[in-house]
Amino acid sequence: MRSYTLNKVVQYVIVLVATSVIIFTMVRLGPTDPVAVIVGGKQTSPETIAAIRHDFKLDRSPVEQYWIWITGMLHGDFGTSFEYRQPVGFLIKERLPVTAGIVIMSTLISVVIAIPTGVIMAVKQHSLLDTGISLVELILVSSPPFLTSILMIWMITVYAPTFSFTGTSQTFWEFVQRIFLPSLALAFSMIALNANVMKSGMVEQLHSQFYRVAKAKGLTRTKIVIRHCLRNALIPVITLLGIEIGTLLVGSVLVENVFSLAGLGSILINAVQKSDYAMVQGVTMLLVFVFMTISTALDLVYGLIDPRIRLKRGTVA
Amino acid sequence: MSLFHLRTSTKRKLKSFFTVPTIISLTVLVVIVVTAVFATQLAPHDPNAIDITAMLEEPSSTHLLGTDKDGRDLLSRLIVGSRITIISAFGVVAISAIIGIPYGLVSGYYGGLLDQILMRISDVILSFPSLLLAFIFVASFGRGIINAVVALGIVYVPMLARLTRSLVLVEKNKVYVEAAHSIGYGDWRIMLVEILPNCISTLVVQMMLDIGYAILDLSAMSFLGLGVQPPTADWGAMLEDGRIVITSAPLVALAPGFMIIITVVTLNIFGSGVQAYLDPTQRKLPSLRKFRRLVGAANVR
Repeated sequence: MRSYTLNKVVQYVIVLVATSVIIFTMVRLGPTDPVAVIVGGKQTSPETIAAIRHDFKLDRSPVEQYWIWITGMLHGDFGTSFEYRQPVGFLIKERLPVTAGIVIMSTLISVVIAIPTGVIMAVKQHSLLDTGISLVELILVSSPPFLTSILMIWMITVYAPTFSFTGTSQTFWEFVQRIFLPSLALAFSMIALNANVMKSGMVEQLHSQFYRVAKAKGLTRTKIVIRHCLRNALIPVITLLGIEIGTLLVGSVLVENVFSLAGLGSILINAVQKSDYAMVQGVTMLLVFVFMTISTALDLVYGLIDPRIRLKRGTVA
Repeated sequence: MSLFHLRTSTKRKLKSFFTVPTIISLTVLVVIVVTAVFATQLAPHDPNAIDITAMLEEPSSTHLLGTDKDGRDLLSRLIVGSRITIISAFGVVAISAIIGIPYGLVSGYYGGLLDQILMRISDVILSFPSLLLAFIFVASFGRGIINAVVALGIVYVPMLARLTRSLVLVEKNKVYVEAAHSIGYGDWRIMLVEILPNCISTLVVQMMLDIGYAILDLSAMSFLGLGVQPPTADWGAMLEDGRIVITSAPLVALAPGFMIIITVVTLNIFGSGVQAYLDPTQRKLPSLRKFRRLVGAANVR
């Protein structure tokens, strides 16, 4: 057990360091001159440029810059944005609630819809209902979340014009209302995946020995499914949720854009367009960090719960 | 075996290939590809011709699908847009195949330390949430469709490399590889001429499905303004144009959106049809593919 945990933690740290190096080098590989981004096309004297280079620590060597960036992030200092001339950490903190809210809410929505759907599909396997749901799922998977969002906005303006979904929010309830539609749009693409995994897990359970034993002892089907099969079939779904966090974080960027919400998405895309790479590296590193932390944490929890995973994965890694 | 036998068996094989969903999806795909190839000839109007006297028009006999906010003919933009969308999706998959397949071959064939190193590198790329790496690439090298294609091509490498590697690991212990060794064939010859042809069918199916994902990802990039630059028509960029006028002229966004969904759905159905034909024991739901990709990414960590 200890070696499994240690292995995972070491891997986690190595991957984080490697990704930070990749992010740091990649944003600097291109031809864009950061000073030009900071100045923003204005006429500037060489002295001002030198001062800017000094202020933004661009006159240091790349290794030094990397070190400043990494140690800074450990203290919560993400550097200074070229475009806004404000601390990246502050800008992130301001916009984090929206992105985090959308990710959490869409996960909840997809779970609440996908689990019953998956169970129904498994119980009624090969029926017309099963085929019908599969077809709907295929369409949902093939529809990018920003397209779903646009469709939603259209339908709301046509059928429910009184529902307000944009603008700033004062209360918590208003905040939930703002992020509900983007979360729903994002959840749609996840529902299909989750329901399918739920279904295949459930089908496996329905063909198991213990199902037959329970049936022979006279339990009703509903009771067996809910009390015994569901628990086992849920495990792969939870694993999948951990992986989906990555997709959701980027998906959130897309839907925030459609609904004009002030989340991480808008500053990230703006920074990408303007080559504000202090911002790009801060936001991307944060997203990778969140994604890696959640999936590693899930791995560790599994190791605790299920010794089979611990042993199998431990020997492979 | 007599000729008669041979004929019936091919016939039966073909019959199992031409199921109703496969035929329909194949027809739709052929139509889409032919439209993309002959786009400039088929488009009734110049897709970039701005006409401010005909902004956001309803569908009519001159403009079959109406016009967008600059008075450009929507149908023409849709047709011409299909070309750039499909060519760039092919480009993404081609780049990932050119790098990913040799990567996986070498990794699986040689094994050992080299394999360890190559797989750790692909782990690191996989630890970026999808599209994020492409964002960073574009931030550094600038916006534009070529940069978006290259970026996504690199992002798609690890998955294909992993698939190739897993296929090679199965194949390399088979007798024919041993035979090739004992004849004295070189490593590259064994990899490319002996092993690769035995893996290619699975790889082709995966690449076909990847084209679908590439269309989705590319349209996301163009939608965010990081891919195709105006005034060039592309389904993703057209969606962004339509988003602004969704309340007054919904068709401007709905038409490209519909095309994206149709193309990806048919690619999925056709891909899984081909897969079922090649490997009848593994009939899986099409959407499960994406799950396998995701889980493949998770298991390696």
